Amino acid sequence: MSAAHDDHGHGHDEPSDGPRVLAVSHRHPRSRTIQVVRPSNEDTTFLAATAKGLGITIKHFARNLFLPLRSAASRSKAGAPVDESWRNEIETVQYPEEKVTYPERFRGLHRLTLRDDGNVRCVACMCCPTVCPAHCITIIPEESDDPRIEKRPAVFEIDELRCVVCGLCVEACPCDAIRMDTGEHAKPVEDRARAIETKESLMGRGIRSIAKQGGEGPNWRAHGHESTKGDVNR
Amino acid sequence: MQLLYAILDFPAVKWLFLVLVLVMPLASLLTWAERRQSAMMQDRLGPNRANIGPVKIKGILHFVADALKMIFKEDFIPANVHRGLFALAPVLALAPVLIAFAIIPFGPTIYPHALTDRLDVYALATNPGAAMFADAIRMQIFSIDFGLIFYFAVLTLANYGGTIAGWASYNKWALLGGLRSSSQMMSYEVAMGLALMGAFLVTGSLEPGAIVERGATLSLAASNPANWLWLWQPVGLLLFFTAAIAETKRAPFDIPEGEPEIIGYFVEYSGIRWGMFFLAEFIEIVFISAVIVSVFLGGWQVPFLDPDGFRVGGVVDAATHVSAGGWSLALPHGLVVLLQFGAFVVKVVLTCVFQLMIRWTLPRFRADQLMNLGWKLLLPLSLANILVTALIKVIYIFATGS
Repeated sequence: MSAAHDDHGHGHDEPSDGPRVLAVSHRHPRSRTIQVVRPSNEDTTFLAATAKGLGITIKHFARNLFLPLRSAASRSKAGAPVDESWRNEIETVQYPEEKVTYPERFRGLHRLTLRDDGNVRCVACMCCPTVCPAHCITIIPEESDDPRIEKRPAVFEIDELRCVVCGLCVEACPCDAIRMDTGEHAKPVEDRARAIETKESLMGRGIRSIAKQGGEGPNWRAHGHESTKGDVNR
Repeated sequence: MQLLYAILDFPAVKWLFLVLVLVMPLASLLTWAERRQSAMMQDRLGPNRANIGPVKIKGILHFVADALKMIFKEDFIPANVHRGLFALAPVLALAPVLIAFAIIPFGPTIYPHALTDRLDVYALATNPGAAMFADAIRMQIFSIDFGLIFYFAVLTLANYGGTIAGWASYNKWALLGGLRSSSQMMSYEVAMGLALMGAFLVTGSLEPGAIVERGATLSLAASNPANWLWLWQPVGLLLFFTAAIAETKRAPFDIPEGEPEIIGYFVEYSGIRWGMFFLAEFIEIVFISAVIVSVFLGGWQVPFLDPDGFRVGGVVDAATHVSAGGWSLALPHGLVVLLQFGAFVVKVVLTCVFQLMIRWTLPRFRADQLMNLGWKLLLPLSLANILVTALIKVIYIFATGS
């Protein structure tokens, strides 16, 4: 009896949420008769489902239409703290007027850092154009006036349309001369030539680095100086 | 003056007025409203930035920007298309929808002599051929007895636009879209026509203007909302509305142009040619709304506004169909006309918004679900609706002997 029971018993091994097994074939235990779940009348006429869906969408529509925006601009206009349950549910950030603060390690437009005397820190070692996977950096080196410095870039151009914002140039730079911590992203331009950042524009965003030339001294990442944290997004 | 009224009563003039003043602006606005409304339903903002200088009316000007963009975009014609039919298809899609507007009563008949006075409704009912009513301007382009049949005949032609576009494009997806659109049209046209038969049985007329002026029964004033067909043909309204959304080829019935599967019959079109398909679709929405409003929602009737002013609780005279008694407020004919035209516009706009609401609530049907719904649900239900309506009518006639 018990052996026969085992032959019939395959149906009981099914997980309880599967289709209900009505009968199992003796000869081929994997052939089974199951109870098919048909969609209910409510679902096949689509009427109740439509009404329910309309209820949801109309609720959202009315709420977003009639309740005030929950954007930062309207919040600051109101001044006093507002009851969030009486705000609409639109999360859209109105970009040029409102901006989301980028994370601290956001890689943005490049900048060339400066020496204490305001000259460019780059020594035209060609590490960054070598490592750049997009070949977007062009450096033409020249003799430096300073006898202690061998080279400096005569031309330092970055094509921001080619740049893939990987940050390898920053990693490769031995003297903290190029950084991507401006917190700005590449702006739209009307023709491609305008997307090329020149040495002047890169230095225009530059700040003075406190890293010692040659890699000695405190790392600029270690603790704050005239840090970039403050001017992210300003 | 007589000449002016005659010109204003000329069908082409009325058609231009209807299309340029009501249909085109409304359809263009719907292109913006759809995106904005769908965004608001999905907790987004939607297009809200188009502006002319400081004028930024919630982004409504996006429809101007869209039109300019489509006109100046490159009109690309792929190789191997059938050039003649490719050029003809957008026109075939757009023209029938505009023609079908001929049957829509978009306002009451204007009697210019009485614009500042109260209209003499008794004289109108008893002696409509009088000289003073001769210069009437009827705000309906063609009042023909077979109005609704004319609409079915003409609007079906719009389907040729899609099918021919699909065939002429020399593109398999376009052809599939065209075929899907014709199969869908064929399936739903039947249920759509039969859904209106109930309304025909109740009112005894296929002329939308007459349906609006008469209402379901003569024992109530035509302006009484209880006399509008939504109360007498609720199933018919539901069936017609469903089939009509399928007719406009929009979600949940948008398998001819389902974006994720096949782009549809206009996949090879660009620029203003594509814009014409797009506009045709939106004009169709306006048209369907106008038909639903005219047949089921009282058309241009304002609740309780008779031709000579507001009247609540009046008694309708059986012979002249003019109501008297009750509380009443006399209004000049000109004001009544304005109110009724405004009521028509408001009703059409609300019905359009409701269609958009449905379009952004439901996901797309599968092709087999679509056919099941059309043939196995809408068609039998519309036949049952005709049967029940006819039975009730026969019983009513036997009971009252009229």
